[in-house]
Amino acid sequence: MKPHRRAPLLSMFSFAASGAALLMGASLLAQPGPAAKQTQKLTASAIQLERIVPPEDLLIPEDTRVSMYENVILQLIKTKKFQHVYRSGDRNATDAPDLVILHLIPEAFKKGSQKEREVTTVAGTTSIKVKVQFTSRQGKVLLEKDVEGKVRFYGENLRATYDLAKKVSALVNESF
Amino acid sequence: MKTRCAQITPAASCTRCELVRRSLRLCGLLVFGAGLVLSATAAPSFSRQSATSQNLASSSIADVKCVIGLENIKPGAKGMLTSLPTGLEFTTGQKNAEIATSSIQDVFTGRESRQDVSGMGGTLVEAAIPYGGGRVVSLFSHKVDVLAVEYVDMNGGFHGAIFVLSAGKATEFKNQLVAHGAKVSTHVEAPEPKEQKP
Repeated sequence: MKPHRRAPLLSMFSFAASGAALLMGASLLAQPGPAAKQTQKLTASAIQLERIVPPEDLLIPEDTRVSMYENVILQLIKTKKFQHVYRSGDRNATDAPDLVILHLIPEAFKKGSQKEREVTTVAGTTSIKVKVQFTSRQGKVLLEKDVEGKVRFYGENLRATYDLAKKVSALVNESF
Repeated sequence: MKTRCAQITPAASCTRCELVRRSLRLCGLLVFGAGLVLSATAAPSFSRQSATSQNLASSSIADVKCVIGLENIKPGAKGMLTSLPTGLEFTTGQKNAEIATSSIQDVFTGRESRQDVSGMGGTLVEAAIPYGGGRVVSLFSHKVDVLAVEYVDMNGGFHGAIFVLSAGKATEFKNQLVAHGAKVSTHVEAPEPKEQKP
């Protein structure tokens, strides 16, 4: 190959190599270090879910509140992250050595309609927004995040609570 | 004559006394026997009455769906819901769960609407109808009652169970639970959203 033909190839190769190196460097910088990951993870052998009490100005049907509580309990057990999952008021929780208390604080609720959802497919969404708060026994907030449960297309209104519980369990999986 | 009378009178009076005693004993035995017979016939009727009063106190509703919240019962299971003087009982084919009246903290009732054609099969049927005919099927719905019962377990842990019943049965069932001694607090009813016709 002649030298005047090699030159553009070499320049292209060097350009591609430098681009790849830049991308690799940027991705390495963007990734959090292992030490940072470890500090974010929480550890606990037991968790207690407190009763869901909505604020006074927010009306949530009792069946939705109860369904939310029970679905979250079921999903917490399914995560297998904790040796014990205690319910609110359980006397055995007082003896648990490292207990984390989970509070679900409702922030918004919109009751939709199953009929509307199935007929229009764009309207009638039921949604619940809650603040998920993990605290220590002393009340220190360890982690706090907003989570929203929805039922958009098919299913009863209570299915929004199942969706919310799945999202809470996903949060537990990534935080513990 | 006097002496004769005097000789006869003690003997005659003794036989009369004997006769009176015997007749009294017989009467006593007769009364006792009659009492026994009466009590024997009356006992079953009394027990029957108590049994009927117990039957009146308990009532069952068939084809109830337990949405969630009962120990050992799979969510979504259908069965029979019974209100007993001791509490509430939900029975499916093989399993049953009980909630004692003393452990009930609160009872709520509500009303929802359910699609006549629903579930995985219903959704497939709706999707199979051409020219969007499935949406017309979705217009058919019926009202149901929702019963939510909050209770505590032996360790004080809070539980909640949700049942879906036929329309108009939840309030009656709740009243029975209250009559048996279940705790109920005053509730603020949320206004039902108006269903817009698409």
